Amino acid sequence: MKAIRFLSLLILTSLVFAGANAQERYSRKERKQHYNSSYNYEVEIQGVGQDGTKVLKVWGYGKRVEDAIIEAKMNAVAAAIFKGIPGGNGAAATPAILRDPNASETHADYFEQFFSPGGKFNQFIALTTDGMPSGQDRLKMKKGYKVAIYTQIMYDALRKQLEADGIAKRLDSGF
Amino acid sequence: MKRVLLISLFAFISISIFGQAKKPTIMVVPSDQYCISKGYKMEFENMGATQTLPDYKAAMQKDPDLRLVITKMGNIMAERGFPLKDLEMEMKNLEKEAAEMSMMTSSSSGSDMAESPIDMLKRTAKADIIMDLSFEIKRNGPEKYITFNLRGLDAYTSKQIAGAAGQGAPSMSAGADLLLEEAVLSHMDGFNNLLQGHFEDMFAKGREVKVMVRVWNNWGETLETEFDDKELTEIIDDWFFDNTVEGRFSVSDATENFMRLEQVRIPMMRVDDRGRERAVDTRSFVNDLRKYLKSTYEIDSKVYLRGLGEAWLILGEK
Repeated sequence: MKAIRFLSLLILTSLVFAGANAQERYSRKERKQHYNSSYNYEVEIQGVGQDGTKVLKVWGYGKRVEDAIIEAKMNAVAAAIFKGIPGGNGAAATPAILRDPNASETHADYFEQFFSPGGKFNQFIALTTDGMPSGQDRLKMKKGYKVAIYTQIMYDALRKQLEADGIAKRLDSGF
Repeated sequence: MKRVLLISLFAFISISIFGQAKKPTIMVVPSDQYCISKGYKMEFENMGATQTLPDYKAAMQKDPDLRLVITKMGNIMAERGFPLKDLEMEMKNLEKEAAEMSMMTSSSSGSDMAESPIDMLKRTAKADIIMDLSFEIKRNGPEKYITFNLRGLDAYTSKQIAGAAGQGAPSMSAGADLLLEEAVLSHMDGFNNLLQGHFEDMFAKGREVKVMVRVWNNWGETLETEFDDKELTEIIDDWFFDNTVEGRFSVSDATENFMRLEQVRIPMMRVDDRGRERAVDTRSFVNDLRKYLKSTYEIDSKVYLRGLGEAWLILGEK
């Protein structure tokens, strides 16, 4: 009888811990990490841009709206480099400039510099919406904001820069 | 030891700097469907059946939309390091070349230039990669939109190596020119990304080509004849296994008179007799097989080139 009691207690304890683990997965800390992750960026193409450019709606997170806007700009450039931009609004899908899925880790030092505050990535943002995002493009969250901006990025110039820096391969490399 | 190391390092650096693989030529060609549906076609009676062929010259002369699309694509490809061969210019050059050839004679003896029927047949516009293009301006009430279809075809393996197709956003105000420009801008990044994938694959696994081995009728031997207790087909099979990248090739068909080898992955570069790093094309690759058969089994043969990616080796004599 004692053995059965002990066994039931053991099972109950392990179930409680498993539940705690599942809750931990969605803790505030984890959520924050998720928002700050360099893989987490939402982009939507707004149509076919002028020669060599892409027009996007992109989201960013930040404690203040200004921080979220800066992150959104960074996300727009990061999406063009690592993730690609899904098609929509009459525009075909845009592939990521870097074909290697682990490129961000392979060239970690380069990208740390590239995406540093006031870094080179700013050079490839031609235009963004002026003023503070409002309405559906500005969501108040528990600790900060999630905002969307409309931006035009210089896709071809960005690709050429990465090719010149030896990060991306030219189409005619090797020939 | 130091000297050996230095020499190896120098050789490696010179290979990296000077070694350049053969660059494929690319040409935009309107698809048969586009030409025929727009009326740019030629009709022939062939054994009682009507044959319809695209008339590229008429298409290039009469279709401003097509010219616009080709120019836009040409700009993008040139910017990416692949200036396109122009179909219209190529056809004009071929006409001029034919006219000049027919008029040219030697100044001392008055002899004209040698040209076999095969040489004449070979005088056609060709490229290693064909960008097969079709598009249509469609209407939905007051709105116009473009459907666009671009396929990158390897001229030798007949494989589609890249593609982009889709429909543009409808517009009431934009003209057809603007919509066409949008369609090209929208699809070319995806197309070039696939093309880059093809080139990367080519550098990793070798260039994919086609080789045909045939025999002259008067040779007196066949591919089933035995040399040193081995059938010739077996000897050729072994040679391909030894000389292709990772032994990649497949014999898709074979009889006593021919062997068709497909998906043959030839190396992009090799070191020649004088120790120089040189690009490999199908001709030089098959030429090595010709030399091997001559030196080892005393078999004469002729290499017939069909382009950067296809060659025939005809056994028996030159």
